[in-house]
Amino acid sequence: MKAPLAGIRVVDLTMVWAGPFGTRLLGDYGAEVIKVEGPGQWDLLRGLGGIPRTVDRWYNRAAYFNHNNRNKYSAAIDLRQEAGRDLLLQLLAKSDVLVENYRANVMDNLGLSFEEVRAVNPRIVYVSMPGHGKTGPEAHYVTYGTNVEQLAGLVSVSGYEGGEPLKTGFSYGDPTAGLAVPAAVALGLRQRNRTGEGVHIDLAQRENLTGFVGEYLVDYSMNRELRAPAGNTHLHFAPHGVYRSGGEDRWVTIACENDEQFGGLCRAMQREELAEDERFATMAERKANEQELNAIIEEWTATWGHYEAMHILQRHGVPAGAVLTIPEVMSDPQLRARGAWSEQVHPDAGAWEVETPPWNLPRTPGHARIPAPGFAEHNSYVFRDLLGLDEEAIARLYADGVTADEPNVRSHT
Amino acid sequence: MPLPLEGIRVLEVGTFVSAPYCGRLFAGYGAEVIKVEPPGGDIARAHGPFKDRVPDPETSALFLYLNTSKRSVELDLGSQAGRDAFLRLAADADVIIENYRPSDARALGLDYERLRAVNPRLVLVSITAYGQEGPYAEYRSNNLIAFAMGGQMFLTGDPDKPPVKNGGYQADYQGGLNAFSAANLALLAAERDGEGQHVDISVQHCMAPILEAGVPFYSYNGLWLGQRRGNLMSSFMGVYPCLDGQVGVHVMARNWPPFAEATGHPEWLEDERFATAESRREHDDVLMAEVIAWAAGMRKKEAYALGGEFRAPITFIHTMEDLLESPQLEARGFLRRIEHPVAGEASYPGPPWWMGPDAWRDGPAPLLGADTRAVLAEAGLSESEIATVAGAPA
Repeated sequence: MKAPLAGIRVVDLTMVWAGPFGTRLLGDYGAEVIKVEGPGQWDLLRGLGGIPRTVDRWYNRAAYFNHNNRNKYSAAIDLRQEAGRDLLLQLLAKSDVLVENYRANVMDNLGLSFEEVRAVNPRIVYVSMPGHGKTGPEAHYVTYGTNVEQLAGLVSVSGYEGGEPLKTGFSYGDPTAGLAVPAAVALGLRQRNRTGEGVHIDLAQRENLTGFVGEYLVDYSMNRELRAPAGNTHLHFAPHGVYRSGGEDRWVTIACENDEQFGGLCRAMQREELAEDERFATMAERKANEQELNAIIEEWTATWGHYEAMHILQRHGVPAGAVLTIPEVMSDPQLRARGAWSEQVHPDAGAWEVETPPWNLPRTPGHARIPAPGFAEHNSYVFRDLLGLDEEAIARLYADGVTADEPNVRSHT
Repeated sequence: MPLPLEGIRVLEVGTFVSAPYCGRLFAGYGAEVIKVEPPGGDIARAHGPFKDRVPDPETSALFLYLNTSKRSVELDLGSQAGRDAFLRLAADADVIIENYRPSDARALGLDYERLRAVNPRLVLVSITAYGQEGPYAEYRSNNLIAFAMGGQMFLTGDPDKPPVKNGGYQADYQGGLNAFSAANLALLAAERDGEGQHVDISVQHCMAPILEAGVPFYSYNGLWLGQRRGNLMSSFMGVYPCLDGQVGVHVMARNWPPFAEATGHPEWLEDERFATAESRREHDDVLMAEVIAWAAGMRKKEAYALGGEFRAPITFIHTMEDLLESPQLEARGFLRRIEHPVAGEASYPGPPWWMGPDAWRDGPAPLLGADTRAVLAEAGLSESEIATVAGAPA
């Protein structure tokens, strides 16, 4: 059965993580995604692979780039040249969607604003995803993923109990913006199909992520009282935390949301008397004596592996989960059973395992169809097959540096 | 111009955060979202923080936020009459969103084959910790556990301390946003093909692709750092205390010159220890001490303004107070004032993205069961049938 976005062509001007992850999801679910980089303005992730620059086509071998750009084609176009801009507009005239994550005024400065693109394709769904959005006094500020969670208010409520605000352990603002892209595009396509007209979508990464802490904003707005970081604790539930298990730096999470689950925990630990203990008999008492309870639980978890503790607790109906490391995520039996990984062979980089599309849509499934493109790998497809340029015109693009088969390696040193 | 999802009808059998967040986005963009609550209501109603810190099922900030612009039907899906009434609603729905464990969902009548029999175009979206099948499918989970089993928790925290979750219910929100994207793709396909499907969202699977470079570096290069790095990822990426809060820095190679200018240290650009990205990594300790010393003397808004002026990626840690006072959010109209009949007026986040000024709506969260009778009557239930499932008229 056809994938949900089969027949939809996407021009992808995004770089680094947030945008490329979003457009990768479009490719995963069937869109034809054409990634456009400039010969001198290529995606900097190509340079962050730890591959020595003495290796042939090192820029096609970076795992992080290849991870975020599978299911895409690649064409090289220098958008700063008039001929490059014209070429892109020709491509956009034959496309359904444009996605870009430049700082707010970059597309306008390139002569590629929504109005200018709409002039060549009135049905275009034009998605901008800058950090701050396209408008406002901070629109021109530079931001990356760690900045986004700081601007969204998330860092201010993250951290150990009684401690300072703490960043998430990775650039959390990036993927959370990328996740919104398929929905934004789907809503844009729906609107286009209904009205016959294109639409400009302005996805400010910081606003999207502020949506992930909305209850804090509503609370502050009603009560004018800031909430401090609460670590792994919960407002009402105890026990609710992380406990050291056997092994170096290995941990298991446990969260009891009612008396029944706490009873299960006591049975699993063979400490049934705790369920009757006046310090722990009710949720309110467990919350009041949480630290004491946590110490008792950790005596038990320390004698088990984190997975073992999880399985034992789950058999007693207790919500529990191991704190998985990255190698453990890749070998986890549940993810394996779900088919979360598949091998992919990249012509330059070789074989490796990649995640399959995350959402199971059984009637119209997504696929990891093709590996990430080498730089400019699909120039011929785009220039000759899609745009119908003849050999002479294509040769001129190369001669004028509007396109190239290799990136200018002096950028991004 | 109609709202983007106008004409779409959604039943949300959602509890707590993930499915309700998905439903909130549907409702905001114009779908009619009928929230089917169990007797006594969604458990989020019992969760604080409450207005004035007084527990009340109508004043939980969590519930108020997650359920804007929805209608509420109180229906006992544990009873046959409740399940029958639900099936009548399902016959006329485009999307159902639910987030129960698979066996619990089936017990409530959320069985895809049965639903499809009454409505082949229906998109059923199930959000679970692990997905519908597999060895952990029936394992119990919550936000903390999902954060751990998705690999995000191990990465978060200080090197000498336990892993820690980030603020609020991030794993649940991720589940909700993933579900919203997946549901809208399935909806496009249903409109194209005339056929729905059962969309299976596993929060654990959703997290696997987004561990930054961790998975690709391990999978391809065989490298794994194996250590948390707290707020100090490196001299050029981290959160540093300042005079009145914290500032955040995220400097890629190309931002190095503006960063040195913005911090008032142009001499760094002449320092050979800091000449390239590689040499800056080599001298990370020296540079980090410099950055920490710079931050310690700054006020947060002053540092942020300098970042803007010099185009250097410097921000400050925004508290909720800072968000309410943000000139950027104010100028964009992102903060929406919504009046709720019990909780009163408050500020709420607006849409995750804009499609013109009129593509999002801001209705208050519904009172428990406020629309039960109206919705059941619209579905064609007779007065006596309604009385059976909803009790006597109020």
